[in-house]
Amino acid sequence: MSRYVYRYLTITLFALFLNVISLSQVVAQPDGGAIFKANCTSCHVVGDNKVVGPGLKNVHQRHSEEWLLKWIKNSSALIKSGDAEAVKIYEEYNKTAMPAFNLSDDEIKATLAYIKTEGEKAPAAAAPGTTDPNAAAGEGNQEDGSPTVLLLVTLGLIALYFILNSAKKGLERVVRQREGLPEPPVYKGKAWVREHKKLIAVVILFLAVVGSVKGWYALSGVGIQEGYAPDQPIKFSHALHVTQNKIDCRYCHSGAEKSKNANIPSPMVCMNCHKYVQEGPKYGTEEIAKIYKAVGWDKNKQVYTGKTQPIQWVRIHNLPDLAYFNHAQHVKVGKVECQTCHGEVEKMEVMKQASPLTMGWCINCHRETEVKMEGNDYYKELHEKLKKQHGPDAKLTVDKIGGLECARCHY
Amino acid sequence: MEKRYWKGVEELNNTPEFTRLRDNEFFEHLPVDEVLNKKAASDSSTTRRDFLKFLGFSVAAASLAACDAPVKKAIPYVSKPEEITLGIPNYYASSYYDGTDYCSVLVKTREGRPIKIEGNDLSSITKGATNARVQGSVLSLYDSARLAHPLKGGQKSDWKTVDADITAKLTAASAAGKKIAIVASSNASPSAKKAIADFSAKYTTASLVTYDAVSYNGIVKGNEMSFGKAIVPSYSFDKAEVIVSFAADFLNNWISPIEFANQYGTGRKLRNGKKSMSRHIQVEATLSLAGSNADSRYKVKPSELSAAVATLYNKVAALAGGSSVSASANAFDKAADSVAKELWAAKGKALVVSGSNDPNEQVLVNAINSMLGSYGNTISLDSVCNLRSSNDAAVTELMQAMNAGQVGAVIFWNSNPVYSMPSMAEAIAKVGTKISLSDRNDETASKCDYVCPDHHYLESWGDVEPYTNRYSLMQPTIRPLFSTRQAAESLLKWAGVQVADYYTYVRANWEANVYPKQTGMTSFEAFWTKSLQDGVFTAAIPAASAVAFAGNVSDAASKLMKPSAGTDVMLYEKTGIGNGNQANNPWLQELPDPISKVCWDNYFAILPAYAEKLKVVQGNIIEVKVGNTAIKGPVFLQPAMADNTIAVAVGYGRTATGKAGNGVGFNAYPFMAMVNGSLSMVAANATVTKTVEDDHTLAATQTHHTMMGREIVKETTLSKWLKDSKAGNEQELIDSPYGKKKPEELDLWATPENPGFDRPNHSWGLGIDLNACIGCGSCVVACNAENNVPVVGKDEIGRAREMHWIRIDRYYSSDTTKENAGDKGLGKLSMYGEMEKPGADNPEVFFQPVMCQHCNHAPCETVCPVAATTHSSEGLNMMAYNRCVGTRYCANNCPYKVRRFNWFKYSDNDQFPYNMQDNLGKMVLNPDVVVRSRGVMEKCSMCVQRIQYGKLEAKKAGRRPGDGEIKTACAQACPTNAIVFGDFNDKNSEVSNLFKDPRSYHLLAELNVQPSVFYQTKVRNKS
Repeated sequence: MSRYVYRYLTITLFALFLNVISLSQVVAQPDGGAIFKANCTSCHVVGDNKVVGPGLKNVHQRHSEEWLLKWIKNSSALIKSGDAEAVKIYEEYNKTAMPAFNLSDDEIKATLAYIKTEGEKAPAAAAPGTTDPNAAAGEGNQEDGSPTVLLLVTLGLIALYFILNSAKKGLERVVRQREGLPEPPVYKGKAWVREHKKLIAVVILFLAVVGSVKGWYALSGVGIQEGYAPDQPIKFSHALHVTQNKIDCRYCHSGAEKSKNANIPSPMVCMNCHKYVQEGPKYGTEEIAKIYKAVGWDKNKQVYTGKTQPIQWVRIHNLPDLAYFNHAQHVKVGKVECQTCHGEVEKMEVMKQASPLTMGWCINCHRETEVKMEGNDYYKELHEKLKKQHGPDAKLTVDKIGGLECARCHY
Repeated sequence: MEKRYWKGVEELNNTPEFTRLRDNEFFEHLPVDEVLNKKAASDSSTTRRDFLKFLGFSVAAASLAACDAPVKKAIPYVSKPEEITLGIPNYYASSYYDGTDYCSVLVKTREGRPIKIEGNDLSSITKGATNARVQGSVLSLYDSARLAHPLKGGQKSDWKTVDADITAKLTAASAAGKKIAIVASSNASPSAKKAIADFSAKYTTASLVTYDAVSYNGIVKGNEMSFGKAIVPSYSFDKAEVIVSFAADFLNNWISPIEFANQYGTGRKLRNGKKSMSRHIQVEATLSLAGSNADSRYKVKPSELSAAVATLYNKVAALAGGSSVSASANAFDKAADSVAKELWAAKGKALVVSGSNDPNEQVLVNAINSMLGSYGNTISLDSVCNLRSSNDAAVTELMQAMNAGQVGAVIFWNSNPVYSMPSMAEAIAKVGTKISLSDRNDETASKCDYVCPDHHYLESWGDVEPYTNRYSLMQPTIRPLFSTRQAAESLLKWAGVQVADYYTYVRANWEANVYPKQTGMTSFEAFWTKSLQDGVFTAAIPAASAVAFAGNVSDAASKLMKPSAGTDVMLYEKTGIGNGNQANNPWLQELPDPISKVCWDNYFAILPAYAEKLKVVQGNIIEVKVGNTAIKGPVFLQPAMADNTIAVAVGYGRTATGKAGNGVGFNAYPFMAMVNGSLSMVAANATVTKTVEDDHTLAATQTHHTMMGREIVKETTLSKWLKDSKAGNEQELIDSPYGKKKPEELDLWATPENPGFDRPNHSWGLGIDLNACIGCGSCVVACNAENNVPVVGKDEIGRAREMHWIRIDRYYSSDTTKENAGDKGLGKLSMYGEMEKPGADNPEVFFQPVMCQHCNHAPCETVCPVAATTHSSEGLNMMAYNRCVGTRYCANNCPYKVRRFNWFKYSDNDQFPYNMQDNLGKMVLNPDVVVRSRGVMEKCSMCVQRIQYGKLEAKKAGRRPGDGEIKTACAQACPTNAIVFGDFNDKNSEVSNLFKDPRSYHLLAELNVQPSVFYQTKVRNKS
């Protein structure tokens, strides 16, 4: 009887749960206020005064919704298309382009609605920076929980094992007493070992084999820092800057096409934008303030104080001194995408080492990657020779032009 | 051509030591027995169990340490300077001038620190040439012995205090009518001269005393006596067809050695269809670098050199129809006639020079040149050389004034007389205020009241006018490392000249005095920027005119030094150390002397036959006494010296230069005396006594890595070569099943199906013209700088563990050959004996730079058990250090002995207290080249980092690298362009064309290792 009750209850609860999920999916409308706070407040206020960009009060009266959608999604494209309105704003604001925002039409419409209502509500301009940074920091840190949970579960299981074991032993004892069976032999120390030689041998052998195999892999991984994602002095998000703001990698890493070093940008490069963008969507002013501190920028007086303090980033990609690597060779000449080695940086909130950076990994790539010979006169003659040697359709990979030779990387 | 070459007296005598070294490449005793000695083991308190415990702990500790990767920081510039791209070098044009050598240079900087000096091709004077001292100068920047702040009374002080003190004292001295002397080396800087003038305007009693440790007073005075112009003229060795030098080592240190080496090389090279070369005759007592390159060399005792000049004068005068002068009998008498005839035949294209500091001898030399019509052709009195302006009379005068107590203050600028002139050391004690502008607390500075340290030249603004109307700029390539101040700026400060800094001063001087000399540029700004970028600016060079000689020859001849009956001491400067101003530079200390191959020492060089007479052997300590000066030092047996002559290098025996240079060798300057108002490099009538002191070991690279007597240097004479362009380069044929064959026709690896390996893209190679190589060692120091070659010190050199990737082998020849043995009546056995005998006391000298030959059939590659050394598809023999396990099989199998083993971690072992040990010295390291660790083999990589860089630049621009665009460090540094680097696959490259020349040959071609490096037969211009 009761069994049926439980089953019914379970099914009902499950159904309810599903319902809640589906309902929430249907009901959820874009929250214009949240989107505005997350994306717009660093440059705009709902008022009449300019911050970086214009005050947005009554923006719906100044521009058509269709135009606004285009502008917000990709302002530079609109400017390029020669749209008069767009060009005018661009010129008015000293050619500071508004970054593109990857928002859906609904989200933008909700935001515009929010601006409209807020504008009507607040005749006095809301000062920038009043937004609560926590409101935007929705996601929080996810990675913290998992190891603790695992540990707790393991401890719980171990405890359970002991509890069940002692219960089982207790029950056995009771059964033995009831049935009148003799007590099981009690082993102590050496005697037990003598009795279980085979078992011990097997266990030791097992442990040795497992240990060696695990040890071998562990040791061969020493010094390989794949996945290394240390805390950085500034919580810089590549995802935000690359995906959302669509900044090209080489804008900051300007050495990649010229030099062996791709360059970590000097904070003055950050200031090109952050002189204006004073607030981030996630950490508000806190992280950007660190840039100001580094370059000695007084936000209030809008002057450089001259007191600088270099940022000490934690270096992630550490090639040993014995290996020579040149970015220009790969990026400019080899036309390799940054992501080939650095992974999907555009999705990384926290930068991490995506590849093992081992010699085997380099060599593999050199075996598989074709040399970009077309259009580079350096390779012209060589290309002809190699086509003759390997056939016109052969894949001319890096190793075919000496890309596996020691002195290409070691000198 | 069956000449015998021998590497040294040791080989000639076949001493047991030599045999031992030759037979065992790694000859030193390994302490195996000592380590395994049972007694030692049983005496040890460490038990087996302890040992295992330690072992276990170490393994555990090491594993733990390895698991935790250190956190590395990446700290970008706060505001990156626009001109800096990390990883890409910037080159700045500047000038090197230290009162001796002048060189227009390009300074290679990486991330704001200078790491390498290269020659500036735009200079019309040095034309891209450098020498060892210029190459090494970058390391002197990072010298931890430099003062980091001014000193007052030997204590740390600050600029404000010393400036206030000094200004007060100078004012007081000036007011009291006491003299203020600026004792400075020759100075060719117009702005510095102006600063001195400004200083003298403020302090009217101030005067400049030009004191050069190695003086050129004789030439200045000699020209005054001959032409009424107290100057040093300019010489053109490239225009001279016959050069006669009386002990002037113009390839090493005489006046402007870098410029002259370049000119000399131009005159000697037989390239691009040039069929003539200069004839060089050297008359000298010691074997100098110039003398070792001469076509004919005559040995004359130092005290007879003046007489030899007089003899030549008489012979030339006889041909010219002039009157003769009195000349003492000398060893040159016999040869003088033919030399005079040769000179006369080359009238207008001849050049006679003398290294003597005696004005009277220089008058005779001028007279000879005048008769030969050299003025206006090979010598110009109109283009004045400002590089040397020694004034020994002023020095004597100053010392008298000092001793008389008339000098109130003395300022030492780039001069160190306490070290180089002991008589001055006593005199300066009587001076009220002594100020040194030295960059370190050297011998003189430590006796001074104030030391106001000067910048290094790489931190300085400045200018040089080496020759009339030819200017050269010096610009800083790094911020001053310490609280130092430019010497000229100090003078200006004390003179109360209101100027923001020395840069402003130099610039203003250029605007006022140099800018008007140019045409074409409309703004000074543009002119200044261009001059700074080029490093040099040449205004109208005065045309050389023929001048009438107006000297009194017979008077000069009567005052010449008289030949002595006894032993003469000859002072000279070595290639690396020079006058001793860079004595704390370990690269230069470790550079083997081109002739003796000894590093880290000076010595009394004497002829082996003379040594026999004195009953001394190499390493014995002798005492040489001239007048009241007695100096002890070791003996070195030097063939080709004049008899009864002792040669000793100055510049050693420093006591306060820094840890690398202190106590290296002994100081020979005390032998230098004022003779007839000139500092003389010759001291006659010396007595020599053998002491009972323990022998001194001289560390030489000479007897190591022998080529086992095989034919390695090929030579011919100009007349033979003109008849047959293959002369001297007869190729040996090898017996084979197919008959006699050229070695390269026989190949173990190549088959018709597999014709060896291919070099489809590049095929790098080096060509070395032995006719142009003068053995100066510039390449060796350049290689050290480029490739992070460690300094190992004297002790390790003595164990044949030098690390130089390139060495210059020096061979002497013997006059006995297989051909002439019959004439001499020698049998087969006695012939070989004779060929090894030091019978010829004036052997010819050959230089041969040897680096890794990058063999295409490399013997080293086939024996490496771990494939650490392999061959590239571009013809390079590659070395992967981190793959090397240190078996040293490769070094054993290398026929050229060019591989070097790292016995220690030189960069991190305090037993080697040189530049790699301190943080400052490490700044000179090339970031593109790995610093090798202990236990690995290394060798010349043919500057693969430069090749890769050049290739990448070409690839980025989508073109092929141009010929000459990529240069190895040695090729770049070579003052005579003897080393040519290039791509054999480029059929029009210089190296390809050079290889087609019939003079080209491979070293040890009979081994058929097919090197990528080739040599060219040396041609001597003699009958």
